[in-house]
Amino acid sequence: MAIRELKVCLLGDTGVGKSSIVCRFVQDHFDHNISPTIGASFLTKTVPSGNELHKFLIWDTAGQERFHSLAPMYYRGSAAAVIVYDITKLDSFQTLKKWVKELKEHGPEDIVVAIAGNKNDLGDIREVPMKEAKEFAESIAAVFIETSARNAVNVEELFQKISKQIPPLENPEVESNESFKLTRQPAASARRCC
Amino acid sequence: MASGSPPRNPPSGLTDRSGSFFKLIDTFALEIGELKREMVQTSPTVDKEPMDLQGLESEVGGVYLQSPHCGGVGGERDSGYDSLRRRMSVLDRLTQTHPVWLLLAVSEEEACRILLKQPPGVFLVRKSGALQRKVLCVRLKEDQSGTPISHFPVRESQYTFSLEESGISFADLFRLVAFYCISRDVLPFTLKLPEAIASAKTQKELEEVAQLGAGFWDSALCSQRRSSPRPCRPLSRTLSPQPTNRNRKAEGSEHRHPGAHCDSAPPTLRSRSPPASFHQERRHSGGRLCFVNPLFLQTHHHHHHRRRRCEGRPPSPNNLENAGKSSVTPLNSSQAATTRPKSMPEAATVSTRQQQQSPSRRPAPARPPMGAKHSSPSKSATSPIPVPSNPPPPRPKKPDLEAHRCHIALDDETIAKALSRAKLPPCQPPPAVPAEALLENNAGSPSTPKERGRQRLSDMSMSTSSSDSLEYSQSPGFSLGLAQSPSRHLNHQDRVEDSSEDDEDGEEDEDEDYGVGLETDLEMHLRPSLKARRRRVGVSLGGGSFILPRALKGRFRKMSGMLSSFMTPERRAVKRIAELSRDKSSYFGSLVQDYISFVQENRGCHTSGVDFLQTLRQFMTQMKAYLRQSSELDPPLESLIPEDQIDQVLEKAMHKCVLKPLKSVIEVALHDFQVSSGALQQLRENLALAKTKRPQELGVDGAVPPDPMAIEKIRHKFLNMRKMYSPEKKVSLLLRVCKLIYTIMQDNSGRMYGADDFLPMLTYVVAQCDMPQLDTDIQYMMELLDPSLLQGEGGYYLTSAYGAMSLIRNFQEEQAARVLSSEARNTLHQWHQRRTTQRTAPTVDDFQNYLRVALQEVDTGCTAKTLIVHPYTTTEEVCSLCAYKFKIPDPDTYALFLVTGDTRQQLAPDTHPQRIKAELHSRPRAQIFHFVFRKVPNLNLCIPALMNNGNCLQVE
Repeated sequence: MAIRELKVCLLGDTGVGKSSIVCRFVQDHFDHNISPTIGASFLTKTVPSGNELHKFLIWDTAGQERFHSLAPMYYRGSAAAVIVYDITKLDSFQTLKKWVKELKEHGPEDIVVAIAGNKNDLGDIREVPMKEAKEFAESIAAVFIETSARNAVNVEELFQKISKQIPPLENPEVESNESFKLTRQPAASARRCC
Repeated sequence: MASGSPPRNPPSGLTDRSGSFFKLIDTFALEIGELKREMVQTSPTVDKEPMDLQGLESEVGGVYLQSPHCGGVGGERDSGYDSLRRRMSVLDRLTQTHPVWLLLAVSEEEACRILLKQPPGVFLVRKSGALQRKVLCVRLKEDQSGTPISHFPVRESQYTFSLEESGISFADLFRLVAFYCISRDVLPFTLKLPEAIASAKTQKELEEVAQLGAGFWDSALCSQRRSSPRPCRPLSRTLSPQPTNRNRKAEGSEHRHPGAHCDSAPPTLRSRSPPASFHQERRHSGGRLCFVNPLFLQTHHHHHHRRRRCEGRPPSPNNLENAGKSSVTPLNSSQAATTRPKSMPEAATVSTRQQQQSPSRRPAPARPPMGAKHSSPSKSATSPIPVPSNPPPPRPKKPDLEAHRCHIALDDETIAKALSRAKLPPCQPPPAVPAEALLENNAGSPSTPKERGRQRLSDMSMSTSSSDSLEYSQSPGFSLGLAQSPSRHLNHQDRVEDSSEDDEDGEEDEDEDYGVGLETDLEMHLRPSLKARRRRVGVSLGGGSFILPRALKGRFRKMSGMLSSFMTPERRAVKRIAELSRDKSSYFGSLVQDYISFVQENRGCHTSGVDFLQTLRQFMTQMKAYLRQSSELDPPLESLIPEDQIDQVLEKAMHKCVLKPLKSVIEVALHDFQVSSGALQQLRENLALAKTKRPQELGVDGAVPPDPMAIEKIRHKFLNMRKMYSPEKKVSLLLRVCKLIYTIMQDNSGRMYGADDFLPMLTYVVAQCDMPQLDTDIQYMMELLDPSLLQGEGGYYLTSAYGAMSLIRNFQEEQAARVLSSEARNTLHQWHQRRTTQRTAPTVDDFQNYLRVALQEVDTGCTAKTLIVHPYTTTEEVCSLCAYKFKIPDPDTYALFLVTGDTRQQLAPDTHPQRIKAELHSRPRAQIFHFVFRKVPNLNLCIPALMNNGNCLQVE
C-alpha cells in the first residue's frame, strides 16, 4: 500500500484541547519506542484508509490571539483542518466560526474541514448545543463530531471521518511539470519478467 | 619474497594442514587479500620496495584473472602484473563495461535475443516495466528446463540491492553482479562475463568494449571472444591452464581465488544461517547457498594468521575490516578516512596498503597516510605505511580470533572470496578443526618464506580494498573489527618481519589477534588513541554463534539487515556528483560552475534575499531533474542507489555542489539585503526590547522557561547551526534546540506540551538568544530546504521559528497582529510561488534554458541568437520564436535543424530542443552540434519537374 502524507492543521482557541485530542489519537495504541517526534506540537500517525495508508502530519497551532497572524503558515498546504472548540465555552465556538471564514478565504481550495466539539464529558456545563454546531457544520459541508480527549471518545472516529473525506489519489504517476524526460525510459515492450 | 612469491600454501597445502577448517579459512583470507588488491585502482606506490614488487607480481598472477594466453612465462606474467597495476578486478571490469550489460531500457525480448547467442552464465540487467524493477537476466544451459533465459528480479531496499530470493544484499548493483560472478547463491550457477570483458588485459580493451554499449553483443568482438578456447571461467586464474612459475609456487593460494574479483561486494547478511549451513557449491547444485557466516568468520581468521606469519606483520583485525570495507565502498575510501577519523577500521585500510607496498615491517611510526587522505585513485600510491613500531602487549588470543571472524563475516568481500575458493576443489581443506586448536598451533610458529610472499600479496590487496572501504567504516561490521590494542599489532609486525613466514597454523592465531598491518597510517598518525577504542566482536567458531561485546550488539543487530554497506553508496554517489560538478567539460559541470560564478559576480541582481534564495532553490531542483535523466553520471545512479533514495542523494549532492561553494556569498548577500532594507535595524531594536520581557509577557503560561545557562547552550547550538551549509543539517540542529526546549519545559513532569505552550516558549527563547543573524539563517532554511521536507517535522519547527522571529521583529508595532498578518500572507504567497513550478519571469537560474540558434541563409551566411527556450518548449514554438527574432517573412518555409558533424536532421514540431540538447550533452562522447534555423530544403526544388508547379516560388 502506498503511504500518503497528509498535512493536517489544528486550529482553535487556546485551552480547548487541541493538543489533547491529537495526543490521544497518536498515543493510543502507540508504541513509545517508535515515537519519532520531538514534541507534541507536531505529531504523526499512520492509519489505513481504503487502499492507501494515510500518514497524518499533524500541525498544532498556538491558539492565543497574538499568534493568530501566523496561522496561514501552518494551514498552508494542509489537506485537512481540524477546528476544535470547547462545548463548555461559547466563545470558543465563535472563534471557530472565524477560523472557518478565514479558511474559506485564504485556505487551500480543497481543504477538508472537520469540526470537533471537545470535552463532551462535561455535558452538564455545556454552552454550545450539539444541534447548533451540527447544523453549522452541515451548512459548510464540514465533518462534525463531539469528542472527549480525556475519555478517548470519538477521537479515532474524527480522523477516520477525515480520511474518508480525502479524495483518493487519481493518478499517482502524474509527473511534475518541472521534470522533463530525456531518453532513458524503459522500452514500452517490457512486460513480464519471469 | 622478492623473487618468486612462494605461496605459503601450495594447493595441497591446505589439505595437508590437518585439513583444518581454519587452514581453509586462511587460504581464503589470503586470497581475499589478493582480491582486494585487485580491486584497488591505483597501483603506483612511491615507496614500494623492489622486493615487494616482485613478490607482488608473482602473487598477482594468481589473483587476477589471467587470460589464458598470458599464462606460462614470466613475460606472460606481465599481463598479470599489468592487471594488478590496473586493478582489473571483476568489479572493475563490470563497472567499466556497464554500458554493455546494464541495459535498463532493453525489453525482455531484446534481452532474450541477445543472451540466446551467448554461452550459459552470460547475463545482463534490464528494467522490467511490468515489475518496475531491475531484473538480472541470465543465459541458462541448453539442457536446463526449457527456458533458455532466466530472470531474477532485483530487490532494492532502502540501502541495498539483492536478488529476490537471496538473503545476501549489496551496496550497489555492481557488487551484486560481481558477487554472483563468483558465487551462485540462488542462481543455478555463477554468472559469466563475456569473454571480451573477462579476458581484457588493459583498460583500453575494456573501454573499447564499453564503447560499443549494447552493440557489443552483436559485434565481432563479442563473437570472436566467445569462440576462443578459453576456460569457461574467465575470472578464475586458477583455472587457467598455464600458471606462471610464480603462480605455481603460489598455486594453492591461487587456486582458491578463482572468481576472485567479487571481493568488493559487501553482502549484507540478512539471515544468519547456522555455520553448518555453509556448503560448497558443488555439493548443492540446486538449492540456495547459505554459507556466509561461519565460513567468513573462519576465513578471516585464518587469513590473519597466515598473513602475519608470512609478513612478519600480523595483519591486524583492521585488515579484515578494511578488506570488507574496501569491498563495500571502493570509491570513497579516502574520503571516508578523512571524514571519519574516528572509525578506526578504515584507517586500518590505509595501513594495509602500506604494508602491501612495503611488505616489510616498518618499525618507524606511521608515515603520513597520504593515500588515505587522498581518496583519489592514488590510493595505491599511498606510501607503504609502517606499522606501528611499538611492541604491543600480547593480546588474548581468543578474543582476537573472534573479532576477526566477526569482521570476516561482515565483509562481503570475504564472503565472496570464501565462496569462490570453496568452489575450487583442490584448494578446499575440510573444515573440521576447531578454531581454538588453530590458534594454539599458530602461535609461535615462524612463517615460511613462501607464505610471506603470499601474505604480501594479500596484504596489498587488502590495503587496496581497505582504501575503498573506508566509507563503510561506520558500518557495524567494520567497527566490530577494530583491534583492541594497537600495540599488539606492532609487536606482531616486528616479530613477523624478523621471522620469515611460518606455515604453521598455530602462529596464525596470534597473528590474527594482533592484526598489526591493519591499522591505517591515518589512525596511527591522527589518533593513536583510536585504536584503543576499537572493540572486537568475537564469534565462536564451533557454534557459529557470534559473541559480541554488549555495546556492539545493538549496532550489530541494527546493521545486520544491511550490513556494512550502510552509508557508503550514498556517499559515493554524492562524491561522484560533486566531482562531476567540478568537471567543466561535462554538461552538468559547466552548468554548475557557470552558475556558481554567475552568482558570485551578480548577486546584486535580486530584489530580495528571498528572491535570491528561491532562485538558488530553483536551480538545484532543475539540476536534480537533469541528473535524474542524464547519462552523464557513470555509473548511472540507478545502479548505485535504490530508486526510492535517489532524490535524497541528489538533494545532498546539490547542497554539496552548489550551496557549499556559495555559502559565504549567500550569507553576505542575505546580510546586505537585511541591512539595505532596514530590516536588520528594526530587528535589533525589537530583539533588544523583547529580551527584556518576562516569559509570561510573551504568552508563556505554566511551563518552565530555560534558565540563562540553558539559553547559553541554545545560543551555542544556534551558532553551530549557522556554520552548516546544508539546509537539512541546519534543520536537524534546529530540531535539537526545540527538543531541548521541550525537555526543559516538561521538567520531568511528563506533560505533553502542544503549540499553545511551545510557540510562546520558542519566542521567548529566540528573544533571549538575541541573535539577529538567526533571521537570515531561518530564511536560508525555509527557502532552500528540499520542498518535500517542508511538511514534516523539520518544516513544522522551521515554520514555528520563522513565526517566532516574525513576532519579535514586529514586537513594537502596536498592531502587531495586523502587520504580521499581511506579512505572513506575503510569505505564503512567496512559498506558493516557490512550490508551483513555473515562474513567469526568467531569472538567472534559467540560464540553462537558453538555446543558441543559428539562422542560416543562403546569401548571408549564419547569424546566431540566444533564445530563451524552456525544456518543455516544443520545436514548433522555437520556430515561431526564431521567425520573430530573425524577422523571417515566410516562416512556414523554415524549420529547425539539428546539425551534428556532417548530418543534418530536421526536428519534428512536437520535439523539445532543450531536451535534445541535454541529451546530446549528456552523451559520453560529446559531439559538436548546432541548432540551425533554415529553409527547408524542399524536395520540390530538387526536382526540376516539380519546380514548374509553383512550389519553388513559394519556397523562395
